[in-house]
Amino acid sequence: MKEPLRQTPVKIRQGPVGKVLREAVLVAVAGVVFALFANQISPRGLTLTRNYFPDGIDKAILPVTATGTNTTALSPESAPGGSGKQEAWQSIDGHQAVQLFHNSHLKQGAIVFVDARDEEHYIAGHVPGAYEFDPYHPEKYFPTVLPACRAAEQIVVYCNGGDCEDSKSAALLLREVGIANRKLFLYEDGITGWTSNHQPVETGARNSGNLSITIQ
Amino acid sequence: MTDDYPIRRVAVVNLFTVLIRWLLGAIFLYLGLTKALHPVEFLKLLRQYDLTRDALLLNFLAAGLPWFEIFCGVLLWAGVAVRGTAVALTLMLLTFSLLVLHRALQLHAALHIPFCAVKFDCGCGTGEEFICHKLAVNFLLTALSAWLVSGRGKQFCVRYSLVRGSKLPRTPDLR
Repeated sequence: MKEPLRQTPVKIRQGPVGKVLREAVLVAVAGVVFALFANQISPRGLTLTRNYFPDGIDKAILPVTATGTNTTALSPESAPGGSGKQEAWQSIDGHQAVQLFHNSHLKQGAIVFVDARDEEHYIAGHVPGAYEFDPYHPEKYFPTVLPACRAAEQIVVYCNGGDCEDSKSAALLLREVGIANRKLFLYEDGITGWTSNHQPVETGARNSGNLSITIQ
Repeated sequence: MTDDYPIRRVAVVNLFTVLIRWLLGAIFLYLGLTKALHPVEFLKLLRQYDLTRDALLLNFLAAGLPWFEIFCGVLLWAGVAVRGTAVALTLMLLTFSLLVLHRALQLHAALHIPFCAVKFDCGCGTGEEFICHKLAVNFLLTALSAWLVSGRGKQFCVRYSLVRGSKLPRTPDLR
């Protein structure tokens, strides 16, 4: 006669590998919690829910054919693929930027330069009189920049130049708060193009008067 | 004298492992801080990998990774959960290396230049680097992290293991 099988409780034993992996998971979970908390309390922390690269950044850029106060920018409606909120950007070259800078309307506030780089770069050297507007911390700069942009007829937005997209981000933010697209011009050569054209830069705060020809 | 030899060798290996742990801790602390102090720059660099179109996930990675590296660096320095931390770092380094390699291959194909001439800022916290150099450094860091998983060099640790029973057989103490 067969003996009935005895059921014995099975103990699942974890080997050293399993225990190390468990420790790794513990570290990972604790690390993520720590990271989120640190980002939250850091003054430079990112806002998790914000889209820092909205779709409009990738829109087409159209060169402007004339500069100065008589600028005949392409109308947004005539821009290919651009209508309503999806308007194409207007860009100006180094020569046009210099012309606008030396235009008498600059001092009256009808022409405004907006520097879309971070504070560190802005202080190191910006177009004289340009407003600081880091698009990644817009709330900090809107109170100063918005009134100036609302009063201006032409707003030149620039960043480092080259592949930099910060000027587009800044222009997009300005457009979102009601600044007309026809007023906004992207200076794509940026500060690199400006300094290579031997134009003056101002170091420190806006209108500090510390002018030099090249950035250190 | 002959009998002492294996013990001395183990002691040297343990000391070597402790130094590796401190070195790795310092490296990750530095790399993490570099990125945590400029999160926006890191976010822009991370975006180049086209990992996701989801803004929340991208922000989460850009905000979290630097501080996670700092966290791991501190744990290694203090000697807390050393093997678990080393596993986490090894997996992270392997993932990063694959991503960097993938990006470098894309640039190599687009720019038509020799692979080792590809130079870009991978967002690793070390600025622009030639890809072959970057991959070699990453390989070394991965190997060192993996070495820490071996369970040697428990000296000068606040708490080597968090999980009970994950300790390997005792090794001769340096002290």
